[in-house]
Amino acid sequence: MWTEKYRPKTLHDMVDQKEIVERLKSFAKSKNVPHCIFAGPPGTGKTTAALCLARDLYGEAYREHVMELNASDERGINVVRETVKTFARARSIGEVPFKIMILDEADNMTADAQQALRRTMERYTETCRFILCANYSGKIIEPIQSRCAPFRFTFLPRNEHDKYLRHIAESENVKLLSDGSDAIFEVCGGDLRRAINTLQAAASLNKPLDTKIVYLITGRASPSDVQRLLETAMNGNFLEARKQLRDMIQKYGVAGSDIIRQIHTEIFRADIPELWKIKLADIVGEADYRLVEGADEEVQLSALLARLVESGSELRKAK
Amino acid sequence: MRHKPKSLAEIVGNAEAIQKFADWIKSWATSLPKKRAAFLYGPPGIGKTIAVEALANDFHMELVEKNASDYRTEEAINRFAGLASQYSSLFGGKRIVLLDELDGLTGTADKGGVGAITEIVKTAMCPVVLISNNAYDPRFTNLRSHCLLIEFKKPPVGEVAKHLKRICEHEGILAEESALKFIAQRSEGDIRSAVNDLQALAQGKKRLTYDDVSWLSHRDRQDTIFNVLRMILYGRTCVGAKQAVDMADVDIDMLFEWIYENVPAHLTDPHDLAKAMDALSMADVFRGRIRTTQDWSFTRYVIDYMTAGVAMARQNTRVHGWIPFKFPERIQMLSRSKADRAMRLSIGRKIKRKCHISAVGASREVLPYLRIIFKNNANMAAGIAKWLDLDVEMISYIAGDEEKAEAIVKLLS
Repeated sequence: MWTEKYRPKTLHDMVDQKEIVERLKSFAKSKNVPHCIFAGPPGTGKTTAALCLARDLYGEAYREHVMELNASDERGINVVRETVKTFARARSIGEVPFKIMILDEADNMTADAQQALRRTMERYTETCRFILCANYSGKIIEPIQSRCAPFRFTFLPRNEHDKYLRHIAESENVKLLSDGSDAIFEVCGGDLRRAINTLQAAASLNKPLDTKIVYLITGRASPSDVQRLLETAMNGNFLEARKQLRDMIQKYGVAGSDIIRQIHTEIFRADIPELWKIKLADIVGEADYRLVEGADEEVQLSALLARLVESGSELRKAK
Repeated sequence: MRHKPKSLAEIVGNAEAIQKFADWIKSWATSLPKKRAAFLYGPPGIGKTIAVEALANDFHMELVEKNASDYRTEEAINRFAGLASQYSSLFGGKRIVLLDELDGLTGTADKGGVGAITEIVKTAMCPVVLISNNAYDPRFTNLRSHCLLIEFKKPPVGEVAKHLKRICEHEGILAEESALKFIAQRSEGDIRSAVNDLQALAQGKKRLTYDDVSWLSHRDRQDTIFNVLRMILYGRTCVGAKQAVDMADVDIDMLFEWIYENVPAHLTDPHDLAKAMDALSMADVFRGRIRTTQDWSFTRYVIDYMTAGVAMARQNTRVHGWIPFKFPERIQMLSRSKADRAMRLSIGRKIKRKCHISAVGASREVLPYLRIIFKNNANMAAGIAKWLDLDVEMISYIAGDEEKAEAIVKLLS
């Protein structure tokens, strides 16, 4: 996979997040690392930065000193009690007196597990430093946040994004046209992992990579069928719209909040009277709120679809 | 109900009873028989009414059908008496008068009542057929003595299954023997409910497997989920709709799924649909609140919204024709996708080992792209498969196509 092949190996290789990288470099140089929180959207280099830091600290054999755990897969309190503790308390041998524990997607840990983690962090500070990667630092409990140095990762700027994709395309002999690169940015919104995966999937077709190919690829891989969903509902076909929605959620694992965000965007692009756009935005807003409170994403979103069906029929009547 | 038998020969089981019934009708051709009425009785859904309809059809007789609500008042009884006083109908054909659902009579409360019916039977000039689930109800003691009693029994499971099979063949549905047998067994001889079940389960399908039907085991026969749904989707009062919950033998979440599945087909007006779905959305919001607060007393609001809220949504939708209830597709998908999820997760774990991403995240973020690569580029796919250490089964799952999977596996060896 190109995401791994072209993942930067050292902090020096990292193309963006300049300020963060500079600080991390100074950690590596002084061979001292505090507990850290790397917060930011997916595909912005949080895990990469953690791995690069580890490599710069320990050299090629860094894997002996580093443990990577993913909270999405192992988020229970027992993991913290057993795995994390066992790793954290054993003393490291070598130049650097501590080991590093990378906790990926830490915002997915239960509150109990985070409390347990807090105690572990405190007790074994001497022997182990923690790097917590999270999409939202707000989901990390306060006491942990106050023990960590915060780093905020942001989406890659456009030029860095394009440069990186071009670099990969050249090395892999892929003809990446500039509108193809535009389309990838449009679809993946700066998420570099998604962008590289899109690039590789598109390259598998062995054709010059333009907008059309990107949309062809992402039509299946990313939730871009939202426009079709919106049309189906506005045209009055509720059952078909619900089926499309169900496929998105169940087959492609698209998150409900993603779908609603895109519906919101699409509404303002749709060919409907201006007054209706704000009416629909109101409907979408209410649905978004209920999505947070409710238990079942599909139910909430299909209730939204029903409101769109209703609006569509009123719109047609008004014409 | 497209599969109602039209002729006596097509009726499932009860050959003896039908013979007796046909002989009695034939006897009318020669002279007035001693018993002017036939009293067909037996459990529901085994073909009593259908037997009368088929017989009228076979003998080219006019069938005048009434049920309990039609002969509650004196006026209605008199009209019925008038009908029964002549053998021939206006057009010269012979006539049968059918009084269905006799159990529905409340005896004293109904002005006409059993007594009036008994009087009419005594003097009837054309065959009168009475139908009831229980002929030995004390109210019918006097009436019974003037009737020819014909008992209908539950047909054996094999007969019901055979009937279901004929329907499937007719509809072009490929059904597993075990699936049909299961439906037949569940119905306990009630052919009508068996056919309803089949229709609901096989709606729009080309194949019917045992897995598709096995969930039926959760269901009690007394008050079928279909009745419960009817009370909710066609309820006129809040109380009536809410009562449905007590009658349902599925838990609240399952009932929610049933309602959620069936609302769109039964509330077709866009405004009604939006209102009903809004009620379900609010019910779900309260489910979410229960989950976060663990305060189960909120369940009452879940029930309010999903029953009364949905019932009150009906304003413009007109009722026409019979719309079958469908089994919740999501539940079927869930059980079917269990193996699918397990496979995705095991591929996710392989990806996780290499790509610094959670197994769950990998199946969401990476797998879709792998699908595209595996479909289009065997070389690239083989490289990735080797690197990720995927087994043959995983490769063919991702490729989704035997031929392509083989090409990839070939490159690996």
